[in-house]
Amino acid sequence: MTSSPALVALVAATAWFLVFFFVHVGGVRAGFENARWLLISYAASFLGTLVTAIVLTAWYHGVQTILLAATMAALTSACLFALYVPALYTVLTSLSVQTMMLLRCRGGALPEAELYDRFASRKIMEERLATLLANGYVAPDGPSYRLTPRGRAIAKFFRSIKILWNLGPGG
Amino acid sequence: MKAICLASAMTAVLLVLVTCWFQLYPSAHRARQMLFVYLFCLALLVVLWFATPDDLGFLARSLLIEPAWLDFAAALFFFSAAFFGGALQLYNLCDRGFSLRILVDMLEAPTDAVDVDYLTANYSGGRGLGWMYRKRIDDIVAARFIDQANKQIVLTAKGEMFADLFINADRVLGLEPPQ
Repeated sequence: MTSSPALVALVAATAWFLVFFFVHVGGVRAGFENARWLLISYAASFLGTLVTAIVLTAWYHGVQTILLAATMAALTSACLFALYVPALYTVLTSLSVQTMMLLRCRGGALPEAELYDRFASRKIMEERLATLLANGYVAPDGPSYRLTPRGRAIAKFFRSIKILWNLGPGG
Repeated sequence: MKAICLASAMTAVLLVLVTCWFQLYPSAHRARQMLFVYLFCLALLVVLWFATPDDLGFLARSLLIEPAWLDFAAALFFFSAAFFGGALQLYNLCDRGFSLRILVDMLEAPTDAVDVDYLTANYSGGRGLGWMYRKRIDDIVAARFIDQANKQIVLTAKGEMFADLFINADRVLGLEPPQ
């Protein structure tokens, strides 16, 4: 008796995603740079998912079924990653979440002015620019910054989506 | 493969419907608009899944996901992931992304190079960082995570619960909660 190739693919993708989760969290805890480690560890787990699904299916089935299993495994893994990344970045970078955590750590209440000093100041802009600089989206130009080609491409892409969806400046 | 075909087609339909609705009836609650479109498309997906043959009239037998319940569950999962991890996140990034807005402000600045003071004062097409933070405070007040009283911001019981959740997530990642 053989297992359903789709079920095998699903189980392989879920198992490899769990491996990715623990490796990613372990790496971040060990001090690895988050964005790079996230991509490296996910790429490895994606490859593992594909190889596992293909090898386990190839034992009993033909090419079309192997294709089905590989597609199921790849899509399941990609979907889990697409759900994981926004949750991760909400915890890491959301100012609303940071505000709530700060309030909790400081007894549940703070003056509005103190929060504005912390989250709407020149300092937070400097911190974000440092992150954009480290990731290659902006480059220093004397005391100022300018967009790199990569940063310009990203900005143009998202501006076009904003126009398409009639979103206004936002931010 | 039926799950993949139907979920992909429904994601395309969702993106078209969202684009039309945003263009024709823009509202202040676009995430809510998107959620309505998602629920409508999800219901349509369920109806389509039951109304169509397993092979959709063209899939080879070896390309069918078996058992059938797995195909159904996969269709719902792929479509939901495309919405919550794709379309909704794209909207969040476009409408609320802090770093992305900085990049767009730099793109739209009158000069190629801009300094920190310019970006702080002209964030979001000239609204400034104060506006950005006001928007976030208003949103978490509306969600009842915090209250405002006498120029103080106070965490609600619901806010405390969620803040604890985020603090624990920070600890799992080995990060110190903000002090």
